[in-house]
Amino acid sequence: MKTKEEQIEIISSVINSTKENLKPLSVNFIFWGILIVIMSFIHFSFPQFIQYTKYSSLLFWTILPTLGMIYTVVYNIKIRKVVGYETYLNRVIKIIWGIFNISWLVIIVMSLNGGNNPVPEILFLLSTTLITTGIIIKFKPIVIGGTLLMLFTVYINFNPNINFFMVNIIGVSLGMLVPGISLYFSKVNE
Amino acid sequence: MNRSIDKLLLNPIRLKIISTLIGVSECDFNYLKKITESTQGNLSIQLKKLKEHDYINIEKKFENNYPKTICSITKKGKLKFEEFFETILTYRNNTSKH
Repeated sequence: MKTKEEQIEIISSVINSTKENLKPLSVNFIFWGILIVIMSFIHFSFPQFIQYTKYSSLLFWTILPTLGMIYTVVYNIKIRKVVGYETYLNRVIKIIWGIFNISWLVIIVMSLNGGNNPVPEILFLLSTTLITTGIIIKFKPIVIGGTLLMLFTVYINFNPNINFFMVNIIGVSLGMLVPGISLYFSKVNE
Repeated sequence: MNRSIDKLLLNPIRLKIISTLIGVSECDFNYLKKITESTQGNLSIQLKKLKEHDYINIEKKFENNYPKTICSITKKGKLKFEEFFETILTYRNNTSKH
């Protein structure tokens, strides 16, 4: 039988060995940041091609992100298998972004129905999800990025004639790409 | 305060299993095998004992035709672990006072 000291040692060493690993989350942010920036840039540069028909723009902004979602889901499942466990924090983040994905789809369908531009609503949803994630993982750059994105969304509301693609590129870069890179190299992951 | 200690958690492998599961939402058999440094057979026996006492949940499924065991702690398991931890801390504090 182990002594009480040895039992306490066992408990603390086992708990310490199960670390939070936020690197996969940062990879998700970087992936989505790059994808949205590239898509916005393509749409901005070749509007005649993307807006060729009434629905081509909608298809462009639905099919590629859906493929991106499938890729990130597969990536996250693979990471989960390699690590061998899921922490409570990872679970909460998974649920939050799962709800984001569903809300994103609902916004797309609603805007299709109403004939509105979904960008402000999606950016606002993204900003609140980023702020929530940043607060939960206690990582300030993501909170700041989310807040900046929210300010951008408010700015769009008062300046509806602004180029939405440039807003997308700047907003997503500040809200996802930069905080994602910052999280990737953060000491949180060491 | 004189509390009786939970004998089920006196076994180091079972203690390692519960200590792992208390910090995670769920984890698989291979991770537990690595953490407990035990053999597959021994780990299976200890998991079964914890399951019999309703300390843990065990979910068995197939992934790419390979069986996969996922474990998570139950409410009772959490409570028993907390009681166990408090008891050993009390024992240790009482011993250090003498």
